Amino acid sequence: MRGRFTFLAGCVLVGLILVVAAVSLVWLPYDPADTSGGRLAPPGGAHLLGTDKLGRDLLTQLMVGARIALTVGIGSVLVGGLLGVAGGLIAGFATRWLDDALSAVLDILIAFPTLLLAMLVVAAREASLGSAILAIGLAMSGVVARLTRILVKRVLAQDYITAARTSGTSWPRVVAEHVLPNIWPTLLVNLSLQLGLAVLAEASLSYLGLGPPPPNASWGRLLQEAQATVLTSPTGAIAPGVLLVVLVVGVNLVADGFRDLADPTRRRTR
Amino acid sequence: MLTSKFAGVVAALALALTACGSGGGGTSTGSSAAPDAGATIEIGSLYEPQNLDNTAGGGQGVTEAFNGNVYEGLFRLTDAGKVEDLLAESHEVSDDGLTYTFRIRQGVTFHSGKALTAADVKNSIERVVAEDSQSARKSNLEVIKSVEAPDDRTVVVKLSDRSISLTYNLSYVWIVNTAAKDLATGEDGTGPYRLEAWKRGSTLSLEPFPGYWGAKPANGGVVFHYFTEATALNNALLTGAVDIVTSQQSPDALSQFTGNPDYKISDGHSTTKLLLAFNDRKAPFDKPEVRRAVAAAIDDAKLLESVWAGHGSLIGSMVPPTDPWYEDLTSLDAYDVEAARKQLAEAGYAGGFRFTLDTPNYDPHPTAATFIKGELAKVGITVDINVITADEWYTKVYKNRDFAATLQEHVNDRDVVWYGDPDFYWGYDDKQVTGWIEQAERARTAEEQTELLKKANRRIAEEAASDWLYLYPQIVVASSKLSGYPVNGLNSQFYAYGIKKG
Repeated sequence: MRGRFTFLAGCVLVGLILVVAAVSLVWLPYDPADTSGGRLAPPGGAHLLGTDKLGRDLLTQLMVGARIALTVGIGSVLVGGLLGVAGGLIAGFATRWLDDALSAVLDILIAFPTLLLAMLVVAAREASLGSAILAIGLAMSGVVARLTRILVKRVLAQDYITAARTSGTSWPRVVAEHVLPNIWPTLLVNLSLQLGLAVLAEASLSYLGLGPPPPNASWGRLLQEAQATVLTSPTGAIAPGVLLVVLVVGVNLVADGFRDLADPTRRRTR
Repeated sequence: MLTSKFAGVVAALALALTACGSGGGGTSTGSSAAPDAGATIEIGSLYEPQNLDNTAGGGQGVTEAFNGNVYEGLFRLTDAGKVEDLLAESHEVSDDGLTYTFRIRQGVTFHSGKALTAADVKNSIERVVAEDSQSARKSNLEVIKSVEAPDDRTVVVKLSDRSISLTYNLSYVWIVNTAAKDLATGEDGTGPYRLEAWKRGSTLSLEPFPGYWGAKPANGGVVFHYFTEATALNNALLTGAVDIVTSQQSPDALSQFTGNPDYKISDGHSTTKLLLAFNDRKAPFDKPEVRRAVAAAIDDAKLLESVWAGHGSLIGSMVPPTDPWYEDLTSLDAYDVEAARKQLAEAGYAGGFRFTLDTPNYDPHPTAATFIKGELAKVGITVDINVITADEWYTKVYKNRDFAATLQEHVNDRDVVWYGDPDFYWGYDDKQVTGWIEQAERARTAEEQTELLKKANRRIAEEAASDWLYLYPQIVVASSKLSGYPVNGLNSQFYAYGIKKG
């Protein structure tokens, strides 16, 4: 049962980050703005993972960062998922020129690099958590919409749809009763993969200074700030890097495991 | 002196600010082995020129590579911040201070072979003040009414007003051959080196000019190696690909060189100040009490330690120790949270207030902003950090003055005079200060000028026109085989002719 194992392993990793984020809501080792720790204190002692340049506790920053990573990850999947599925359904039902036009729009959206899109959003709004979620969600919606469109078209070609229509079922009911139940497992797997990518995209944005503004302790920002001191105080760069890997790998394992579990054909061939 | 990322703002500031230069201390002393006069010096830098013309936006890179090396002025600003005669042999000033007569040095030839004449000097000065010139010096030289060359050895400059800084400002005016074409990719100066090759994105090499009028360079040529990233630059120094790095941007990279006998670290004086600049026109920062409270609430020493780990120094005003009118005013700006609270209450902000801090997106600004946010929270002031790019800063803050407070590094020496201009971006408007600064420029003697500028400087410090957070260090790391290099950086100048290897 490889599917179940990867699924469980993924759940453990993601759960770890979820617990850290949840704990950070009620308890933190230090106040995130407390600069009393001294410049780049080494790990151990009063500061389990040491401090940053300003003397702030690194563990505290990482815990707050977990919250930001999850907020952006989940938030942008919601934005991208809603926009993408809605757009994909419309494109899936569209025919002829409308279908061609929508496909072209989606192709353009997908061809647009996520970071470039994010920069545009940040320039139009401001560098904030909301902008990051919106930008990553927008970029994601193209991929989700294209997938949804293909899935919908495949379902609509089935005989039972024709049967449902000729027996007088309305289009909204067709969507609710026949289309969505048939496409959601694939969509869910894709959306979880997208969540991992969104977390990475947020880290990249913050690394470039386009994410939530300081002093928000996004992991990408922590990485960027630790870059200059990586030789003298490597924990500052290693710790957020490890957490990023844990979360992204975890999310991917969950997605993989879920795909294996949800897809009966895969189970049979194993 | 500045990180690669700040080149943009430096350029932006240079467009409008009086730029540059100063220093203190001397050059480093060298090793005992006999120097090799034929050796090429490999210099590592983060500042590649945009082009090779300093009146066409060449940037700080061209100043670093060419000032004093390829081009010379009538005067030279030494690494210690003194103004000396260079291509001017002597000069006289009329009694009313409005006419300067310069005697041009004889026997000087351009790299193209043509002899230097007064007409070239006239033309060079006119290039800098021309309509389309992008020189950082332009506004300082606006006082020049006319330049005449009555004979080959004499240049007469007439001023519309007295200007005691004229010789200092002329030290940045390159004397260029009038007949020279295409100065953006070539050169024709009188300096000890001539341009050998410029490989864009990689290196710029200078070779000694055999026809140089003065002493021969102590080396057989220099090559500037350009890097876009500080880590790569330090790695080049570690592997021996370069002999010297013109300025270090982070104290943490130094650990690779400290305690290693193969390298020497020099801690010189920079003129770069980190400012928390208030918009003095608008509430709440139009009140001196509020500005002083903010200044007192921020522990500058702790911020300096965070960013520079023991390097750099605290300043109480805009004037760095290398300017002649320096005075230690750090006590006016002392860290005292209780006093800050009291002053806020007196100004009617007992409950604190909220403001947006426009923060350039490159180091050390975000770090400083984070720190300031934490410090001001203790006195009830809420800071919203707004991160912007260098271009946005130039448009939003510098041109449109659409800000409450901002962080910015000011690289120039002798730039306290900007507090005398009520139209400057921070909008500090004090009749007395403006008057003193105007009189200082018209002063008859350097002493008089110093006295007036000291008064102005004390006044702006008392009123906390801005909060001067700290003065940057100027750290040069070089192979210990090297000697004779400038250690103060003088806001981008880097005289290479004295460097010896071996």
